[in-house]
Parts: sequence; structure tokens; C-alpha cells
Amino acid sequence: MNRLLTTTALTALLVAPAFATDLNVAAANVSSYLDPGRDHSNVGSQFYFNTFDPLIHKDYSTAEAKWMPGLATEWKLIDDTTMELTLRQGVTFQNGDAMTADDVVFSLNRMYQATFAPYQVRSRDRLENFAEAEKVDEYTVRIKAKRAEPLWETLLNLQQVFIIPEDYTKGLTGDPKVAEDSDYEAFSLAPVGTGPYAVSEFVPGQKIVWTRFDGFWGDKAPLDTVTVTRVPEIASRLTALKTGEVDMITNVAPDQLALIESEPAMHAAGSATALFHVMIMNMNHPKLKDARIRQAMSLAIDRDALNEALWLGKAVVPSTHTMEEFGALYMPELQTFGYDPEQAKALLAEAGYDGFEITFDTAPGYYTNGLLAAQAIQEMWAAVGIKGRINVDEKWSGNSPDMMARNWSNPMYFADPFGSFGVMWAPGGPSESEGRFNTDEAYKASWDRFRYSSDVETRRAAYAELMDRIQKDPPVLPLYRPYESWAMRTGVTWVPQAGHIPYVLDFRAGSITVE
Amino acid sequence: MLRYTAMTLLRMVVTFFVIVTLVFFATRLSGNPIDFVIGQGITEEDRVLLTRYYGLDGSVWTQYLSYLRAFTDGQFGLSFLERRPVAEIVAERIWPSAQLLLTSIALTMVVSIPAGILAAIYRKGWVGSAVMTVAFLGYAVPNFVLATFMVLIFSYVLNWLPVVGNGTARHFVMPTLALSAGLIAALTRFTRNAMLDVLEQDYMRTARAKGLPERLVILKHGLRNASITVLSVLGLQVAALAAAGSVVVESIFAWPGIGDMLVRAALTRDYPVLQFGVLTVAIAVITINTAVDLAYAWADPRLRQTGRT
Repeated sequence: MNRLLTTTALTALLVAPAFATDLNVAAANVSSYLDPGRDHSNVGSQFYFNTFDPLIHKDYSTAEAKWMPGLATEWKLIDDTTMELTLRQGVTFQNGDAMTADDVVFSLNRMYQATFAPYQVRSRDRLENFAEAEKVDEYTVRIKAKRAEPLWETLLNLQQVFIIPEDYTKGLTGDPKVAEDSDYEAFSLAPVGTGPYAVSEFVPGQKIVWTRFDGFWGDKAPLDTVTVTRVPEIASRLTALKTGEVDMITNVAPDQLALIESEPAMHAAGSATALFHVMIMNMNHPKLKDARIRQAMSLAIDRDALNEALWLGKAVVPSTHTMEEFGALYMPELQTFGYDPEQAKALLAEAGYDGFEITFDTAPGYYTNGLLAAQAIQEMWAAVGIKGRINVDEKWSGNSPDMMARNWSNPMYFADPFGSFGVMWAPGGPSESEGRFNTDEAYKASWDRFRYSSDVETRRAAYAELMDRIQKDPPVLPLYRPYESWAMRTGVTWVPQAGHIPYVLDFRAGSITVE
Repeated sequence: MLRYTAMTLLRMVVTFFVIVTLVFFATRLSGNPIDFVIGQGITEEDRVLLTRYYGLDGSVWTQYLSYLRAFTDGQFGLSFLERRPVAEIVAERIWPSAQLLLTSIALTMVVSIPAGILAAIYRKGWVGSAVMTVAFLGYAVPNFVLATFMVLIFSYVLNWLPVVGNGTARHFVMPTLALSAGLIAALTRFTRNAMLDVLEQDYMRTARAKGLPERLVILKHGLRNASITVLSVLGLQVAALAAAGSVVVESIFAWPGIGDMLVRAALTRDYPVLQFGVLTVAIAVITINTAVDLAYAWADPRLRQTGRT
């Protein structure tokens, strides 16, 4: 009887609305600053979605692009290059300011017409087509693109154009009427948005506390507070989960999954992250100018074996630089990359490879399994006769003319091939600019059609042309989408959702339940 | 004593300036922070933009001057990553580290001095052997092994102690033990040996012959004379601990301290934080050494008169 009473009382407590629901998360890393505009790091992506909203939301539970009203309730093209958006009324920022067209125009133009260096850098690779945003009235804004834009919704859903308050930001330092660089720097230590959780405490690199924002325009947040603390050691994160100090942990390595599944009080959730670990090869290295050498370096690598050995088969090995999140632009039918050691040997012989040493650079701990993959690749190269040498160094060598091959990653910054391959391998983009990748007029023409054509079939055809070029003269080999896991105590239900960019900790209504 | 103190302080200032300069040039040997601060794969145009933004576009000498100038405003520059004053970041971290260091020193002294004395007095009995065996073990086990082992036993299996952060007194148990184990082991051995030397001295026999009680003989005549050795060992060990010893332990226990901050700043090439962090540690080490020097003078009247160590 006593037990029944206790159980009933507990159940009553759990369902009672007055019961505070707090979540403690131990994360491998916590951001050093919180500004969705200048950040595109994997560490940062974890934290923005709970606090900020874009103009256009999407159904994040699916990889398909189902656009939904966000801070804009309607949007329509009024000519080829102008989008008019009707803003949601009654939205307040977490500091109490009402959101108006001024805030939206300010947030967008801080990126579209950036004067702050980190914004300039961030907008160049993805927002270059946007000229400006302008206010029509209190709840209507127009956005002008330079050229017809096929990816309006995608690029208005982007983390970098989440909406921030104008007056608050400008008033942080100096002249309250002017947006100074120091305002943006101060904002990133005390961020304010319109999302369901306000950042109530932020110790850079150490701790973030979210408190439910009751003035949120959408469904009320399911948790009262969330505390994310940095716990760099995986053994300590796991122990903290076991002892009940935390309810959830991030960045669980694949080899820990069996342990978690064997514990009755905890469980894991994971997915193949929308990010490729890749091998890059320097087209302009004097010894690698012959494309056949680089093709052989690529064909010698058995990526499925890497997946089985390093990721328990849970990673995803792509046939080309594509992800299912790309929707209509997902093109798994392209066979750009494969494993063919015989052909690799033949190509090496044709190219007259004389056994010179090929270096493979890797940082010791930057990518999960990065060094192990490098060692396996060295062995696979040896099997076709390539003499490889691993060069372990913290330093980024992707911009060095001496770099021959190294590991890197190509994340999906937004759900389109432009948001992954397109950012990294654009003409004049980072890879070409670092001097290890070349483009010509034909590549530029294909890239332009892929980027700007309004017709999906034309975009697909152009992307196939680009992949063909990458196959014939390879600068990159996507190895796999790494499998990333989170673990949580029994009673917490959360999964990484397919509609997000990698690593987002989404604690909005419908995304997490805590008992 | 005055002259001795003045010399010690002067030495401290010179050492500090040398460190300030060394730190600046040493941190710059390890690569361009742009590669680390802003991520990999950026265009040349953006590289130029950010190099200017972070104030890394001037010559090394310009940067050295602005680095020295940053000492005058009390902020010590802005962190590349966090864009807030370095002094603020270090201030956040210094107390947790100091707390850990102080509890470790306290525990070390409370345990190892009595243990060392006991091991010296009962050097032929089982007490002496037992103390020395434990001390040997403590010396042989690295602190990260001990820390991980304790986490496994006391947290993962038994769930007695918390493993994350520095919130309560219970949070101090494992990190303090992990940090002091090596210190206790070392100091116990040195205390024992120093006491053994002293116990053989003629003045000990004289003290006993005067009819002083054994407790007073050991503690006043014995320990006071053994304390020079004990002090120098403690000073060295604590300085080493303050300099780098806590890095691993802070990482394992997610302790928001200086060691953890230094590692992160080094990995991300956040020069301003790294520089000032190293300086803070250097100041701590100098202060500790100075305190030990002054304590020598207290322990050994000869030093007060000659002004030399």
C-alpha cells in the first residue's frame, strides 16, 4: 500500500505542471562565444537552435525540405531577385523587446553588407548572392538578391541569418545608435534571440545555462532549465551519466556504445552525421600533378573496410559527394569514388610512379579515428605499391604547397550540395584559394549552372558534370559520414533529427521528453 | 633580513621580465593562430581580413610593443576566441586552481611530515617499512592513472563521489588525492631522510642529555633542522604542480582551472590567453619560490646574515 501511495504521489508530481524539469548535459566542448552569424563550427552549431529563430523554419524531423513559417509567416517572390516576407506579429526577444522589421533588416544586413570582419568571412562563402534587406513597413521586409536565387528558403533558414535584436545589440558598447565591431563582440558573450530558451548564464568554453523563455511565440519549451557543462574526457562524461550528475552526454565514441547498451539505466542515440571526413590531395604538388597518381591514391582506399573497422559499420560510405539531406539534389546514382586496387596499380604503372614517398598529414586528435584511418590508408596504399608516410602535426597544412595529402572534413552547412561541396570546392573558394585545387572556365560554367539554375534537372545535370570533373582530376575523396552518438539516462528521450545541420542540441517542444 | 628580502624581490622582478619576453616569442613559434582561430580552408582574401582583425598584421616588434602595452590597462589584451579581456578569463580560472593547489598542499603537509617523522623514528620496525612501501607506491603511480582508477571505483562503481566540476566539498576529494599522492610520497621520503640525518647529530644527544622530553627533542631540535630539506622539496614540488601538474587532473575532473585553460589556449593558439596564463603560472611559481626562500631564512639564521642561499 505504501509503495502504491508513493508511486501515485511520484506520478502526480511528474505530471504536475509545477514540477521543475531540469536537464544537465555534459558536452565534450562548449563554445568560446555565441553568435550564430559568425560561427559555423561544429561546437557552436550545438547551441544556437534553442535560442534563435530563422525567418523560415522547416520540419526538422525529416531530411526532406518542408519549409514552415518561422519569424516570417509568408514569403513570396515579387520579381526574379526580390523576396517579400510578412513578419510574424507579437514576437518578443528574450530581453523583452518586440521584434519588428528593423530587427530583421539589421540582422540580415549585418551579414549581407558585413563590415565586421568575421561576418564578412562567413557571408562570402554562402550569402554572396544577397545584396540587401529593406524595410517596407513594421511587419514587411524585402530581400534583394544579386541574381535569381534558387535556394531562397534554404538560405533564409541558415544559422548565420538567425534574427537578433537591433537596439539591444547596438546599445551594448559605445554609441547606442551605431553597430560597432565591439557591439558584435559583446553580443557573442550575452546573446539574445527569439527562441524558446534564453541564455541565462554563459561562461565561455565552460558552461551554458538555458532558461525557458515564457514569452516565446511558439510551443512552450518542455524544460525549465538546461545546463551544459564542458567535460572534455569521455570517461568522465560516461561516469557522470552513470552517477546521475548529468542526464545526457555528447560525443560518445563508437567503441563506448556496447558499454552504454549494457547499462540498464542509460541508452544511446546516434546518426551518421551530415559531414564527410575526407582525404584531400594537392593537385599542384609537383609530384602529384598527374591526375592518375591521385586517382590511384583514391582507388586504393577500401572505405567500407575503414567503416567496418573504425565505425562498426555504422558510418555511411558515399558513392559521390552527396547526402540524402540534399532532397532533389541527392544523387547516390553517381559513382564518383570507388575501391579498385587493380586499377590503382595500373594507373600508377601508366603514370610511371617511381615509388616516391607520399605524405599524409593528420592532426593527432582532431577527427575521431583520424589517425587510425590514416594508418589504415597507409597500409592500403602499400598494398598497391604507394609508399606512404604519415605526418602527425597539429598544424593545418591545407594551405601549404608541400602538402600532398591530408584529412579534412566537409560539413553540410545547409541542406544542399551548395552547403557542402559547394562551399568547399567553389571556383575561388577556400580549396582553390589555398592553392591545392584548380578550376577552369568549363568548371566555372558547370558550377554556375549548378548554383544558380532555377530548374532542378539542370542543377542535377550540372552537379553530375562537377562530379565527373572531380573523378577525372581528383582533389578530394569523401571517406565516410562519421557516426556520432549521444547517451542519456533512462527517462530522457532525445534523438538527433535528420532535418538539422550536424550536432544541433534541439530541446524545443516535441524534440525531447524528460521523465 | 632587509637586504636579503630586497635581493629576493629584485631577482623576482628580473625573472618576471625575462619570462614576459620569452613567453611572447615562444608562443609565436608554434604556428599562425589564424589557422586555428578561424578554422581551416579560408580564402586568401579572408585570411588577410582576419589577420588584420586580430591585430596580427604588424611586424613581430609592433606586436611585442602592443603586448607590453596591454599590461598597462589591466586587461592584458582580448582573447582571440572569446573577445573579452584576458584578465577576466584568468580571474575566472585562478581561484578553482588555487583552491585545488592549497587543499593538496595542506593534505600533503598534514600527511607526509608526520609520516616521514614516524618512518625515521621507527625505521627498523614495521611502521617505517609500511610508510615507505606506501610512499613508494604513491611515487610510482602517475596521477592520471590514480585519478582514472578512483573515478572508476568511487564514482562509476560505488557512486560515492561526484566526478564533474568543483561545486561542493565532495568534489574536492578525488582531485585533491590525485594531485597530492605523488607529493605525499615524495615529501614523506625526504622528511624521513632529513630526519634520519638530523637524528644522528650531536646536538640531538645534547638536547636529550639536557633532559628535554623526547617530543620536544624531535619536533624542535629535529624537525626545525630537517625543515630546510623539507621546505626546498615542498617548494620545488608545489612550483612544479602549479606550473603544469594539474593539467591532466583538471581535465579528468572537468575542473574549471588554469591548467585546463592553458591547454585549450595552446591548442587553439589563443595567444593573449596563453601568454597571460603562462605569466600567471610564472608569477605563482616565482611567488612560491620567493616564499620558500624567505622561509629558508626563517629556518636557517645563517642565510639572514649573508644574504645568500
